[in-house]
Amino acid sequence: MLIADEKTVKTPVLADNPYQPHLARIVRIFKMVPDNHLFTLRFEDQWTAERFKHRPGQFMMLSVPGAGEAPISISSSPTRPGVLELCVRRVGRVTDALYRMQTNDVVGLRGPYGNGFPIETLIGNDLLIVAGGLGMAPLRSLVWWALDHRDKFKKITLMYGAKNPAEMLYRDELVSLADRSDMQCLLIVDRDPTGQWKHHVGLLPTLFDHADINPATTYAAVCGPPVVYKYILQRLLALNFSKDRILMSLERRMKCGVGKCSHCSVGYKYTCIHGPIFTYWDAINLPELV
Amino acid sequence: MKIVKIPKKKLDLFASILRQHWEIHAPVEQNGRYAFKPLTHWSEARLHYNRTILPPKKYFMPPRETMFHYREGKGYVPAQEELDQRLILFGVHPCDIYAINILDEVFGGKYNDPYFQTRRKNIGIIGVDCTPDEHCFCRSMRADTVEKGFDLFFTDLGEEYMTLVGTSLGDDMVLMAAPLFEPITAADIQKYKQVSSEKRQAFSLDVEIHDLPEIFELEYKSEIWDELGDQCLSCGSCSMVCPTCYCYDVADTVELGSKAGDRVRTWDSCLFHTHALVAGGENFREKRSSRIKNRFYHKQRGMVAEYGRPSCVGCGRCIVGCPVHIDIVQVINRLRGEDHANRG
Amino acid sequence: MNKPKVGIIGLTGCSGDQLVILNCEDQLLDLVGAIDIRDFLTATSANDTESRLDVAFVEGSVVSQKDEDLLRRVRERCTILVALGTCAVWGGIPTMDRDQDRPALLRAVYGDLNWEYDTCPAKALHEVVKVDLNLPGCPIEKDQFLATVANLLNGNLPLLPDYAVCTECKMKENNCLLIEKKQVCLGPVSVAGCQARCPSLNIPCVGCRGPCTDANLKSAAATYAENGVAMEDVIRKMKTFAPVPVSEQP
Repeated sequence: MLIADEKTVKTPVLADNPYQPHLARIVRIFKMVPDNHLFTLRFEDQWTAERFKHRPGQFMMLSVPGAGEAPISISSSPTRPGVLELCVRRVGRVTDALYRMQTNDVVGLRGPYGNGFPIETLIGNDLLIVAGGLGMAPLRSLVWWALDHRDKFKKITLMYGAKNPAEMLYRDELVSLADRSDMQCLLIVDRDPTGQWKHHVGLLPTLFDHADINPATTYAAVCGPPVVYKYILQRLLALNFSKDRILMSLERRMKCGVGKCSHCSVGYKYTCIHGPIFTYWDAINLPELV
Repeated sequence: MKIVKIPKKKLDLFASILRQHWEIHAPVEQNGRYAFKPLTHWSEARLHYNRTILPPKKYFMPPRETMFHYREGKGYVPAQEELDQRLILFGVHPCDIYAINILDEVFGGKYNDPYFQTRRKNIGIIGVDCTPDEHCFCRSMRADTVEKGFDLFFTDLGEEYMTLVGTSLGDDMVLMAAPLFEPITAADIQKYKQVSSEKRQAFSLDVEIHDLPEIFELEYKSEIWDELGDQCLSCGSCSMVCPTCYCYDVADTVELGSKAGDRVRTWDSCLFHTHALVAGGENFREKRSSRIKNRFYHKQRGMVAEYGRPSCVGCGRCIVGCPVHIDIVQVINRLRGEDHANRG
Repeated sequence: MNKPKVGIIGLTGCSGDQLVILNCEDQLLDLVGAIDIRDFLTATSANDTESRLDVAFVEGSVVSQKDEDLLRRVRERCTILVALGTCAVWGGIPTMDRDQDRPALLRAVYGDLNWEYDTCPAKALHEVVKVDLNLPGCPIEKDQFLATVANLLNGNLPLLPDYAVCTECKMKENNCLLIEKKQVCLGPVSVAGCQARCPSLNIPCVGCRGPCTDANLKSAAATYAENGVAMEDVIRKMKTFAPVPVSEQP
């Protein structure tokens, strides 16, 4: 948890306020995909910026004054500190307001929250990362964390599917990963209206035909819309994946991010503190999770 | 534990001594019901009451609470204007104290809620024992007695109140009014045991909570939930009056003609159709039946997993306050396949 | 900064919602300081009825071709259209029994004069044009109106509650008129935002703000009927301010 900056806190009572948003400046807005821009943010306070640490898979609470607060997963890897990258889908009141902002405008940030990926457990294994559509946003942090710790993993496979090349998040970055020989980066689009796409065309699950996955030594991290979970889980289970080697990043309504407000409750867990990363075994046990 | 007693006729004097340091709030009659309100005269206080409309949680997490003020250039500045009010709640029932103890856990832990905790520190609690009415089932929920969470606790022995001193602050209250208190006698102890036994006999509602989490898991697909979904008005009354419902919503308000405003949190309810609705339109609990199931499930099963006990304390407020007579005791007994247990 | 251009326009209604705006005494100067009111017939006769509007607040329901034409013109000239008050949001009292035979109604009111009237069954704004925001109430709540303007000035739509009046009533720790006095209080099915104005004064809610999205009309109707009120009276009561689909057979 972050320590509140002195300027805004007067009494010791509220000095350790988990709801305190910290000012952060928008340093770059990259219009990656229509209605899915990548915002690069930096904490105004140097002390806070330097001490900020997160794990892949965690999220931030982003405040736009007047519009409110929303949970946004962190897209940048902890191995590349200094700034935070948030891939924000324009989808509601807060994100609408954020899209009206420009570089150098100031927003509020608090976090990081959530469990993040169990990186200690992942180390030493093969890693399979499967993303569908916007599901790439929370997984991108894990991709770069793993690549920046390449020696800690055996095989790394990334499968990412989008509707068409124009809607592919981090397209140029991922296309360049496809050239790397120390990992397998499989990209697929449902359709290619451009005729320029040099990678796979078809449905995401068909990428499994191009990869050699050993379920005994692999952890799978999956994120995407419900249909992605449905078909990818089928594939993984058909490969005999153990249910706790399948990790999923989930989305819920959140107001506090710290296990108080109850909006993100699923069964007896809170997505904000027990998640957003759940195993498939959790999903079976928690009704309504997927 | 330090235990003393105070004659009933000296209570008003005790209250007047306390009032030199604290504002006293106690149950006051309101059109046949009761509500905790600030006292102007001690005579307004009703220490023999069934239940207040709202539980004491309204003091620790008010229905609407400003968390921050935001100003351009300054960011979010914590609001603390209302936090420093020091008062005593005089006459809190054991179930309600138990509920506050549960809220302590929810608002404590890794992420301490400073608003709740500050209020908790600034509000003294004098508990009072009670006689159950036909809607009380605190005994079933193991919340008919409390051993912590109060500064003083009064038990009615007829002519006097036996007084348990729970905290050093409570001891200060006693010392402040030292001449009013007396040591207890062997006869008082006998009388206490008699009162305690009479209270035990007075419960007419009973519900078995042993293995309730398992029952909830087994009955997750029960048609009872659909029936309740058809019945429930999702009016939110049960959540508002529940001493352990702590859901809240957060929103920024803005002042006219400026970019400044407040961040405010408001009581919320998991029965509202917006509760699990995310931006983009996905609603994880679209059906009313899944929402009412979530409410019971979270309280009676989820809290057991998280905090080791159900968060229901058996105060009966949701039973009294439901316009369509949804009754948690009946629901649990039906899930268990038992008839409405009534020993009365 | 260019002040947003605003129109406050009335169709058929009592002008009560527009009066609420004029009654914002303490905030009126802030209000006219923040927005540029171009068209507000209830307040001034010097109006610009043609120019582009950023926001149009439209009161009243559509009960004539004239109303409908005006509403369509307003829709064309504004960016954000706000339905102001229950008549605009739901149709309000004019929609009560709107399915009845129109000529028969005219005869009942005006006799056999056979005059030509421009009249049609009452409609809410959303039944004619796209509405961007609903601000219900009979009349609207001053605070909600001011919050709406403040939010719109910042580019946001306001967040208005979509839960029942009961919630706000309980927050105020009122006695329950439905449970304790068996009165037909429409609190459980009516949308909040009024801070339970009537129940706080011991007057049962009449549902003047219209139903909340998730109102369980069927179960509520059964509950009122259980308290000894004839089902047909219950339904009539529930349909006073909005043509809600409450069935005869709960």
